[in-house]
Amino acid sequence: MTATETTPDAGNRSAIEWKLYVNMLTTRLFEEALVRWEHEGKISAQTFPSKGQEAIAIGCCLALERGDAVIPSFRTRGAMVAMGITIVEQLREFIHSPLAAGDSRDAPHHASWPERGVMPGSTMIGGHLAMAAGLALAMQLEQKGEVTLAFFGDGTLGSGDLHETMHIAGIWKLPLILVCENNGWEMATPWQKVRQTQSLIPYAEPFGFATRGVDGNDALEVYNAARWARATALNGQPVFLDCMTFRAGLYSSHFGEVRGGIEQDLVQWEKRDPLKRMGEWLAAQGAATPQDLDRLRQEEERRIDESLNEVLAERTDMAKGARG
Amino acid sequence: MTMLSYRDAVGKALQDSMRDEPRLIIIGQNLAGHGLKQLADTYGENRVRDCSISESAMVGMAVGAAMKGWTAIVMIAYADIASVCHMAIVQSAAKLHYLANGRLNCPLIIRLPIARFRGHGPEGNEVGASWFYNVPDLNIAMPGSANEAYWSFRDALQRPTPTLFFEDRSIHTRSGEITENSSGGKAQITRSGDQLTMIAAGRTAALAEDAADQLAKEGSCGAVEVISLGFIKPLDKDTILKSASKTGRVLIIQDEPPWSGYAPYVRCLLDQLPAGKLTTAPRIIAGADQFLPYWDERPFLPSLESVVAAANELIGNKV
Repeated sequence: MTATETTPDAGNRSAIEWKLYVNMLTTRLFEEALVRWEHEGKISAQTFPSKGQEAIAIGCCLALERGDAVIPSFRTRGAMVAMGITIVEQLREFIHSPLAAGDSRDAPHHASWPERGVMPGSTMIGGHLAMAAGLALAMQLEQKGEVTLAFFGDGTLGSGDLHETMHIAGIWKLPLILVCENNGWEMATPWQKVRQTQSLIPYAEPFGFATRGVDGNDALEVYNAARWARATALNGQPVFLDCMTFRAGLYSSHFGEVRGGIEQDLVQWEKRDPLKRMGEWLAAQGAATPQDLDRLRQEEERRIDESLNEVLAERTDMAKGARG
Repeated sequence: MTMLSYRDAVGKALQDSMRDEPRLIIIGQNLAGHGLKQLADTYGENRVRDCSISESAMVGMAVGAAMKGWTAIVMIAYADIASVCHMAIVQSAAKLHYLANGRLNCPLIIRLPIARFRGHGPEGNEVGASWFYNVPDLNIAMPGSANEAYWSFRDALQRPTPTLFFEDRSIHTRSGEITENSSGGKAQITRSGDQLTMIAAGRTAALAEDAADQLAKEGSCGAVEVISLGFIKPLDKDTILKSASKTGRVLIIQDEPPWSGYAPYVRCLLDQLPAGKLTTAPRIIAGADQFLPYWDERPFLPSLESVVAAANELIGNKV
């Protein structure tokens, strides 16, 4: 078995609940490792951990189908994981492996695999949403039953491109799904200081979007909402999913925690941690014992560590080969 | 041989491109009912799309469509408005091919008509090409003739990265022959001469031709060579250096202030010539470093008189 293969075998692992759990677990552990490796000097890229928000990217992307496209935001590592981009493939971009598909040109959180539906994002907040609408326009013209889904944080409400995109997508009825990871904070600024309501639905609805408020910490609810969104978007109405959540981790590996007075929030949201909830659900269904989940976690941790070793070795070997 | 006006050459380029490329769309304002009614009637409003006044999103959408292999022509009402969609042009359009490591192409055209001499005032009479001069991978076309207008448009759609198409309305009615084939992005020598090379683009290329013709009438026949760049980025270095080597004198004319753009760039290029190749220092005639008033832009821009005067001086004609 190579570091890229894993076959956990407890319970019915093909059920969507398991896939949601495993993808969230991988994302959580991978991002923890990325922050650790950066602090150890093994990689140099800034990481924006999605801890506490993983259900949104993963629930949405697992609801997509072949041919669909996604444009991640800078905090949706889980989108790449759920779209089937392996840890090894992602790490190649981090360390500029000779096998990195994107040649490590884009920042690792915007790395793309276009032929597999993961498109380049943008560091310009909101800029990627117009690109998503363009993808959706091409899909509408091609009539192959494909949709485009794009992620963004609630701070993007301030970006003109979000409004321009909604304005056009609504009137053109594009097969577009906009997914807001609404964690209530614009880096260090709470939503009350920058807008009228926490929900963005009142802003999206008048543009002609079908909207749904979603518990962004419930992976199954996100998945079901995204399935509905996909069908709705293909039926001629773009969709806005407002996924309420809370960032339980750092703003980024560089900035650390920048929010003041959130101690109680962290305690409350910890109870709603999406990974923990999905694990408890699996246990309650009798699909897994706590021991199964522990073992799975250990396997994933080992696989992720091995993945870094694998790409570092690959880079060293190829450098030797080039010299030889 | 087909003779067309500059305006009709752009129109023909649009028509022929729509005919040849089924996955080409046009996005802009007031197209189907007004500016491109005929194309909309032929190809339908799916491909000739009226959009809200959202220039930034129009360019961003064109980039997204390119990810799926669709090419868009984004019709911006006039060149100044490139500032509204600067982010989308620089960050989204120009960088896509690079960021994707060549796995995605972005051959879109952003059509930016230069609208000076029409009373639009300082927010409607800029060129703005030089704003984008330091953006890698961004092609900048500034055709100076009907033929260049037609072929630079057609060429741009074959490139893997986007093109800003600066169409100069002030020369819309000038006519010229449309050649059978493209020059492949090479500059055109539109007047041949052996004493002075004039290098220009867009309106100033037409100005340089008029100046060469006037100088010929005044006795300097066969003195002035005119190079019309067509694409000002990337530009045809070989034609420039070859002509400059031959004539030994260079006058560069640019319709924008001289801080950046092709004029200072070409002047730097001339440093690559061996010492002594130029018999006199190259000169630039550029727009004044100021905004242009609504009532008359001309006093602040290169003119036939200023170009002829500079040419006479460089050649050493006593006038």
